[in-house]
Amino acid sequence: MRLGHGERSAIPVVLFLLAGFAAPLIAVIWFSFMPPRSFSFGGAPTLENYRTIFESSSYISFLWSLGLAFIAVVVLALICYPVAYGLVRVFGRWATLLTLLFTIPLFVSENIRLYGWVLFFIKNGVLLGTLKSMFGWQLESILFTLPAIIFGMVYVYLPFMLFPMTLGISMVPNETRDAAFDLGASRWQVFTEVELPLSMPGITIGFLLTFVLAVGAIAEAKVLGGQQVIPISHDIEIAFTYAQNWPLGAALSVLLMLVVGVLVILALRRFDLDKFLGRR
Amino acid sequence: MQDRQQRLRHALITVWTIAVIVFVYLPTICITLASLTASRYFQFPISKWGLEWWHKTFSSIEIRQLLSTSIIIALCVTVIAVAIAFFGAMAFARYDWKGRSLYQKVILLPIFFPQSVLGLALLLWFNTLGLPLSWMTAVFAHLVWIVPVVTLVISIQVYSFDPALEEAAFDLGASRWQVLREVTLPVLFPGLFSGALFAFLLSWGNFPLSLFTTGADTTVPEYLYAKMVAGYTPGVPVLGTVSTVGAAILLIGGYGLILATRRAKAAE
Amino acid sequence: MMQSLPILSLKSVRKMFGPHAAVDSIDLDIAEGEFFTIVGPSGSGKTTMLRMLAGMDTPTSGDILLRGERINDLPANKRPTCMVFQSLALFPHRTVGQNIEFPLKIRGETPESRKARALQLIDLLRLPQSYYGKNVLKCSGGERQRVALARALAYDPQILFFDEPLSAIDYKLRKTLEKELKDIHRETKKTFVYITHSLEEAMVMSDRIGVMRAGKLVQVGSPHEIYSAPNTRFVSEFVGDVNVVPVSLAKDGLLHVAETGARLKPPAIPPGFTQGHLVIRPEFLRFLANAGEADNAMAGRVYNEYVLGSRIQYQVRVGRNVFAVEKLRQQAFKGKLDDDVTIGWDAGDAILVTD
Repeated sequence: MRLGHGERSAIPVVLFLLAGFAAPLIAVIWFSFMPPRSFSFGGAPTLENYRTIFESSSYISFLWSLGLAFIAVVVLALICYPVAYGLVRVFGRWATLLTLLFTIPLFVSENIRLYGWVLFFIKNGVLLGTLKSMFGWQLESILFTLPAIIFGMVYVYLPFMLFPMTLGISMVPNETRDAAFDLGASRWQVFTEVELPLSMPGITIGFLLTFVLAVGAIAEAKVLGGQQVIPISHDIEIAFTYAQNWPLGAALSVLLMLVVGVLVILALRRFDLDKFLGRR
Repeated sequence: MQDRQQRLRHALITVWTIAVIVFVYLPTICITLASLTASRYFQFPISKWGLEWWHKTFSSIEIRQLLSTSIIIALCVTVIAVAIAFFGAMAFARYDWKGRSLYQKVILLPIFFPQSVLGLALLLWFNTLGLPLSWMTAVFAHLVWIVPVVTLVISIQVYSFDPALEEAAFDLGASRWQVLREVTLPVLFPGLFSGALFAFLLSWGNFPLSLFTTGADTTVPEYLYAKMVAGYTPGVPVLGTVSTVGAAILLIGGYGLILATRRAKAAE
Repeated sequence: MMQSLPILSLKSVRKMFGPHAAVDSIDLDIAEGEFFTIVGPSGSGKTTMLRMLAGMDTPTSGDILLRGERINDLPANKRPTCMVFQSLALFPHRTVGQNIEFPLKIRGETPESRKARALQLIDLLRLPQSYYGKNVLKCSGGERQRVALARALAYDPQILFFDEPLSAIDYKLRKTLEKELKDIHRETKKTFVYITHSLEEAMVMSDRIGVMRAGKLVQVGSPHEIYSAPNTRFVSEFVGDVNVVPVSLAKDGLLHVAETGARLKPPAIPPGFTQGHLVIRPEFLRFLANAGEADNAMAGRVYNEYVLGSRIQYQVRVGRNVFAVEKLRQQAFKGKLDDDVTIGWDAGDAILVTD
């Protein structure tokens, strides 16, 4: 059978993702069934690694990661909605410039930006140093505490909530809002009855994206949180590096993949990407 | 009354947005300040300003090596990603075909995937294949994440592309290759350019994928991380500032270029 | 009319999309130099048909012949035909001149001869010469239309296809462009095949019209034939507002209206007619002083009136049905709304259709 243009154009990407994404994931899944501490695919399949995880305290890291991600998403939604609304409806021609300003940090390694916060919050740093020299106040740094980790997540993932939300809000036609007002709805009713449901696709994507990224986050806890909390990604990294127990790391990865995969598939199942991206 | 309420609301939104922008840029400012101190340790307020650490950082051969590794990786990623993603975007947004809706979602999966885990999965995969780790494996790793992103970026341009343009050119006697060269590529150029910009910058700033896949080669973000964990050295803020300002210049310059060409054309 | 070899022939052309026939067994001959228009509602298959003629789709079965040669598998870039698209498909990164020169450039002509030809075409299309270097995106709707046509003419095609190019243009400009297009047709003497959903547009320009419905060509004829002798209820309704009465032929040779029990004098009865519809155009209905003034008459009440420019349309309620009656402004109805009236028509002015 002769392939159509669409199929033929998709071939390079699909082949590449098979080799670069699907294959490594299958390798990870396979490896999670290898005997502990082995480095090859040769061993007899076993569930040993999964048993280790459920018998140890690794699941606590899981819960931490999920909980922190959840809090970060809620905080992000509250921070981003007014900004996204402003970008679509208030700022007019300034919106492009503001969008650019929000975009630039995306291209700077998150480590560097988190390190900037370290310099800000650290004892004798920008914040505490200024307070000390100006007012003589001596305060404790919030660095290396749980709130610092959430703070870092909110900071790093802000654009991933903001941009989908902005797209979502821009999908609400002005006429429908005006019509709702005209039909007697209050501002709050317009928000809950018209704006929120119609911008939901964008908001959902924002929630999903930030949650998934935050569940897999690692740098925030390392750079800002000291070792207060060990997120799941850190456990995985330890298993792969210091502990040299690849099958255990693979098993942890599989569990994380399951959580992320189920969420993504649920959210994307009934999603019309053409409508979402094609509007412009 | 209604009007005053609205103005108040808009003022609040504006103030809030400015606060968020400050929040976004605060750490960058801190880093820049730290790079301008003359002392070995960071203390605020800064007592002695100076550019010594900039000299020291840039005269180091190690740093030059880092920069060139990062740039080579980013350039390779850019070229390959744009080539693959151009076709990917055509399949994503231009053509109607049976598997398209599924394809559109599969493309998103690597973007949604935790990058540190993806990096480790690739490490395991390269190990399985017996590939020695180097900057080349890092290029491959970056591509796994960047190709989908660039596909989306180019797709947005492709959506606004009128397929009749290609048909018209073909109908006027052009061959498939002439259609591509004379019509499709020039019309989609802004999208391809944005895609290239994204590819370069995302590769330049990437840490989690590089960490596990560069082997003996080191990129700038990796070096910075190693130094951060090891203890304070003013070289970190210097490189951090370079990295940030470089990205900003590239991005603003790139979009400036697009705007300028558009203006020049509109003036004809 | 068809003594010489037709420039384009369709032999049972059919296009399937899955189990659905978008174009269903069409036979058609188009003569050299003709302005032929295919009219149909959206979804009738006219665009699919045009795309097959232009070489952008291939028929599932049947043959397309150009001067007797089968061209089914000849791709669009090899066919001596050219299309003006609905979106016009002007190249946004090129100037007016570069757009027009595109086919010449592809053909490898020198820049000098290209420019000379482009300027000639700019003249033919009544655009100012200064437009040669203008950005196409800065042209108005009507100007873009002309640029698209000039570009197609630069290809020097034997047949020009038009895919509803005027549909996005406002009424007044459209009327001007329709006439211009017909002038260009006369000046270039090329064969034009045009599709539109507006029969009004088709009537202004065409030598012949084909009406399409659900993939089939239901009637082909001159604008006059389509207007005065539609062969189906569908075609008659496509022309404009019509009054349609379901009737059957009674033994006494009169038409029997089942709903009201009325008996009407028939027009010429098509052979084999037993039941169908009687179509009466609004301009053939008259207000009568008494019922004897026309072959058929009925009593009703004026329910509303619409002013249609030079004409006025009255809605007259007869029983549960409403009839449209149109009068020129000079011959307007003298009464007022809600007056009781008698309306009627002469038998020969109505048309009987089966479908």
